[in-house]
Amino acid sequence: MKGESIGELEELVLLTVGSLMDKAYAVAILEEIKERTGRKLDVTAVHSVLRRLEKKGFTNSTMGGATQDRGGRRKRYFTLTVAGRKIIDETMVTRMELYKKLLMATQ
Amino acid sequence: MESHPPKWADRILEWYCNPELLEDLQGDLHEIFKGTVENKNERAAKWLYAWLVLRSFRWSAIRKDQALKNSFTVMTYNNLKIAVRVLWKDRLNSGINLVGLTIGITCFLLLGLYVKQEVSFDHFHRQKDNIYRLWLKETYNNGNIFFNSVTPPRFEVFFEENFPEVQTAVQLNFNQYLVGTGEEKLTDQVAIISPEFFEVFDFPVVDGNTEEPLGSRESIVLSQSYAKKYFGDRDPLGKTLGIEILDGTREFVVNAIFRDPPVTSSIQFDMAISNVINDEIFGERYKNAWFSVGPETYVLLKDNSDTEKIMEKAEQVAMNLIGESRDLESYRIGLQPITDIHLNPAIPLGYAPVSNPQYIFILGAIGLLVLIIACVNYATLSIGQSMKRGKEVGVRKVLGAVKPGLILQYLSESILMVLIAMVTGTVVATLLIPTFNNLTNSNLQIVFESWHVLAFICGVLIIGFIAGIYPSLILSNLRALVTLRGGSSAGNKHVVRQGLMVFQFLITIFLISSTLIMRKQVNFLQNEDLGYTYKSAITARLFPRPGEDTTFISRNNSAMANGELLKSALGKYPEISDIAMASHVFGSNGWAKLVATEEDGTYWRFRLLIADPYFIPSFNIKMSDGRNFETGNIADERQGVIINQAAADYFGMEDPVGKRLTPKEFGEHIVLGVTEDFHYSSLHHEVDPLIIVQNPRPIFEGVSDGDILDDPMPKLMFTYNGPNISKAFDILETEWNNVFPNAELNWSFLDERIKLQYENEARMNRLVSTATIMSIVIAMLGLIGLIILVINSKVKEIGIRKVLGAGTITLFKLLYRNFGIQILIALVLSIPVTMWLMTRWLENFAFRVNIGVEVFIISGLIAVIAGSLVIGYHTFRASRVNPVESLRTE
Repeated sequence: MKGESIGELEELVLLTVGSLMDKAYAVAILEEIKERTGRKLDVTAVHSVLRRLEKKGFTNSTMGGATQDRGGRRKRYFTLTVAGRKIIDETMVTRMELYKKLLMATQ
Repeated sequence: MESHPPKWADRILEWYCNPELLEDLQGDLHEIFKGTVENKNERAAKWLYAWLVLRSFRWSAIRKDQALKNSFTVMTYNNLKIAVRVLWKDRLNSGINLVGLTIGITCFLLLGLYVKQEVSFDHFHRQKDNIYRLWLKETYNNGNIFFNSVTPPRFEVFFEENFPEVQTAVQLNFNQYLVGTGEEKLTDQVAIISPEFFEVFDFPVVDGNTEEPLGSRESIVLSQSYAKKYFGDRDPLGKTLGIEILDGTREFVVNAIFRDPPVTSSIQFDMAISNVINDEIFGERYKNAWFSVGPETYVLLKDNSDTEKIMEKAEQVAMNLIGESRDLESYRIGLQPITDIHLNPAIPLGYAPVSNPQYIFILGAIGLLVLIIACVNYATLSIGQSMKRGKEVGVRKVLGAVKPGLILQYLSESILMVLIAMVTGTVVATLLIPTFNNLTNSNLQIVFESWHVLAFICGVLIIGFIAGIYPSLILSNLRALVTLRGGSSAGNKHVVRQGLMVFQFLITIFLISSTLIMRKQVNFLQNEDLGYTYKSAITARLFPRPGEDTTFISRNNSAMANGELLKSALGKYPEISDIAMASHVFGSNGWAKLVATEEDGTYWRFRLLIADPYFIPSFNIKMSDGRNFETGNIADERQGVIINQAAADYFGMEDPVGKRLTPKEFGEHIVLGVTEDFHYSSLHHEVDPLIIVQNPRPIFEGVSDGDILDDPMPKLMFTYNGPNISKAFDILETEWNNVFPNAELNWSFLDERIKLQYENEARMNRLVSTATIMSIVIAMLGLIGLIILVINSKVKEIGIRKVLGAGTITLFKLLYRNFGIQILIALVLSIPVTMWLMTRWLENFAFRVNIGVEVFIISGLIAVIAGSLVIGYHTFRASRVNPVESLRTE
């Protein structure tokens, strides 16, 4: 099925979209990731990932209101869809299970 | 003041970006721009903005509407689509074309890589433009010339002190020593180099003391592979390695590890010590000599130095220092750029092997020829197909296609084809590199570089263009009316097509003939009566007792005495016979070359062999006059001399037996016999005058100079008569270990050594043979394709003829007539071309074969037979078709 799998960067961006709630647009996501993980992403990469996620049906986007400092251009805000939320949950569960196994093994 | 992102970048973004995505993407970029202006500066922000605009150019972001649908992109797309369909529709022909092109491209790539590697030797040194190797040419009044690229040891200091243009001078020398840790020792080659060596050349030191790899007298540096060889996985740094120099073992400390020299380096070394040790190895006389030679000297010049001036000055300064000693006419010192060494056989050989540039040229030419055959093949096949496609052109023209458009369309077919062939060819070539290395005994490596992509694309376009331009011109020239009316079109085009066919056959036959001639010459070299027999002969290098006095003669005697021990041990075996000892063995070009000077300045040059009485009978060397040494005859042993016929002629002696040799400087001696000339050097060279002695002392008394390239330590040789030659080695090893338990056995088969002398020719022959077979395959593929087309266009004719009673033979004649004539013309044309080129190649040999008529007869036959097979098969198939079938189509 299309959109079943999800890459590492995609997962990170998707998580950030969820965690920023209704303030998630590309530059904000970029800065959040930089702050949390220290990874310096390229804004073009973020855009590319966001387009991919939307195509896969994990996010929705709406245009926000106009602001002054962007030359009057509107922002595109992203929100998680149900499918997006589900895939995050699934990935996390798998990870936790594996992590627990690791802990058991190394004790 | 408010700053803005660059307008042009915005415009590009607006041009390509999908309008739905544009607003927020541009907004984000502006926001980042503003942030950067505040944090850094405007310039950086503008650069970043432009960069981000470029990076945003992704498939998901670009607009997919009219903007991209200009006529060019659409037509290219359409052309490619049609090309794919056309090629797919006629799969057989496309397949033939593809295979032909792939073979051609593969050959071209492999040979091209080989040529490229050969011409890029020594280009990896960063200072390559300023590094020169010195050569020395001494000319004497009597016409004697000594020309060497190994130079006197004092040159290093001489150049550093007298020439401000010289930044550094370094020397490189090689010696064989017993090397090892602890008790285990093996003979290995040790480079003796100047401590500044690593500053001049780019042999990166990867571990240890990078500042001064050869800082002290006890330092030794190893290549990575030698570090592994001697120390395995242990860390070699700081460990000691024993080297037996002169009479004792000296301990050297591993001070640094350098990366193995690349295959494209003329200087190949794995282990080096500092040349400060020279003062122990050599006496004062050697170190200060102007005439005896040993190391190679390299100078690193400062930028923009005038080499001509340095050469002039060097001669003057050196002549002044030498003074009026001997009748030296000139003492030329020359500078050879380091990048020139590998492909310039005009300068004498130093330590680096030199390739024959002629061979490189021949190989490059062959690669190109095979590629051209493949292109011609494509062209002839495509023209053949044009008969079928006439209607297509007609319809297109009626619908308004213009000529350039049509040309472009047919070109895209050939370019697409070449693209596929190129990809396959590259993959095949990469996979074939190990086989290629095996076949040619070379060391080809492929290293991917980014410009290869560009070269690849250019290659596709150029080859595609060359292969496709002529057919596409012909096709686009067809007239719509003629083709649609259904008349047979364009009879005159056959001339060009036939010309191309002839050209293709010509190259193929030329390659076949050349292979045959090369094979003939190589066989001749390997089977020529050399004047001695050497089947199943084995040789082992002897060594003097350690600690023996260091003069040459006493070392020689000591080694000979060792040899007697081994000889008596081997004598026990009935299957071993003809045991002999001599200072040199066959299969080397370096037999000691000596010079005797007389008081009046007359010079004599000859080669010297120190051998025991068994040498001549062991190898069945024929005596034309006099006798061999007598075993046990003391007088013979002390002063007996045997010369070869060339020496008798050279010394001008009519009846030499019982006399002294002409040079007066020699000590007491008497000529016992004269041998027929035997080819102790390779057949590239004439037979030089040779003197054979048991005791070299009388000859040495008259010798003033010499040049010994081959190791002159005595070797023991014997013939093995048993059934299994590998047993011979077992016997030798067992007895060797019994007699000399601590020494390493160095042995070889004589016939292998002799074969090795012609390795270059043999390799060349293998390469050309392979290329020839490839070209035959391509030519036959072409013929198959064409004959199928011809038969298809003549289906009705054949049917009618069969109804009227024609048999297979008649049909064969009908089809063969055309091709037969073409092959014949090609054969005739190829003769002068082959004769001219191959005569030039054969001039490399002092002893060579005649080209001979049979070569052309055979190659003609091969071409005719190959052609007949193809045509015969298809005629047979065509003639089997029931005429009812072929005529019913109406």
